[in-house]
Amino acid sequence: MTLTSPPGRAEKVWLLLVALTLAGAWLAETGQPGWPLTLVVAALIAVKGRLVIDRYMGITRAHPRIRRILHGFVTLVPLLVIFSHGWGNLLQRLTTLH
Amino acid sequence: MGLSAAPPAPSVVEPVPGNRGIWVGIFCVLVEFLLLFCVYFIAKAHHPAAFATGPDKLASSAGVAITLLLLTSGYCMVKALETIRRDERRRTFAWVVAALLLGLGYPGVKFFEIRWNVAHGIDGAAGIFYTVYYYLTLNHLVHVSWGLLGLCWVAARTALGVYSARDYSGLEAAAMYWHSTDVLWLILFPFFYVLR
Repeated sequence: MTLTSPPGRAEKVWLLLVALTLAGAWLAETGQPGWPLTLVVAALIAVKGRLVIDRYMGITRAHPRIRRILHGFVTLVPLLVIFSHGWGNLLQRLTTLH
Repeated sequence: MGLSAAPPAPSVVEPVPGNRGIWVGIFCVLVEFLLLFCVYFIAKAHHPAAFATGPDKLASSAGVAITLLLLTSGYCMVKALETIRRDERRRTFAWVVAALLLGLGYPGVKFFEIRWNVAHGIDGAAGIFYTVYYYLTLNHLVHVSWGLLGLCWVAARTALGVYSARDYSGLEAAAMYWHSTDVLWLILFPFFYVLR
């Protein structure tokens, strides 16, 4: 949280994170392999990651280098999730020893 | 000539939450887990069928419980920082202890989850999905254990009155590390319990 967080913001962020987690739990029980599940999971990782980084850690006011690295991390991983689903065969070829 | 030009604006110095040392540690952990995530993606690319069915056998309730424990523990650390900034030291101590107790729930749930897994034949040799699952989640547990030790340390120092509204960088450093383990779990949870 930033130094000047308005009252109740931490509680709202926590509630949102819990709601998104329960949505993930529902997906864990009902989700079927495919693009919809992959895209939703990628979005959940990005949104929850940004919420923790920006709101819990208060990184929005931190040094730009710290901010860029953390934001880059929770952007890169969802992109890798999408890449591994859509281009799994390419990844397999690239990582096969001949 | 440019002698009359305005002097360059002073560079904007933005704070480093906690201290520089903790950020070296956090970035090392992020690099380590990025490599571990690559292990996951490569194994999944080579064994898509095992990764499509693997999550079905795991107890997703354990993953959800760990997520909720870590998120709520992280919330307590947010409140701990808010209260120390107002110099409310007793409340700060209470929030840190709450964060610690909730965080201790993680290894507790993990213990029962692994016991349940083994009872259902899910050990490290049960298949490539479960090998990667144990490799990454136990690695995360190790990092969480370090975070818990950090929380013990800052709880003791908070009780001793070391931190104040003027100086709480140690408490903030522990909070930053604790939140970073949270971010990593938010990625691991869908990898092993949701994605197929």
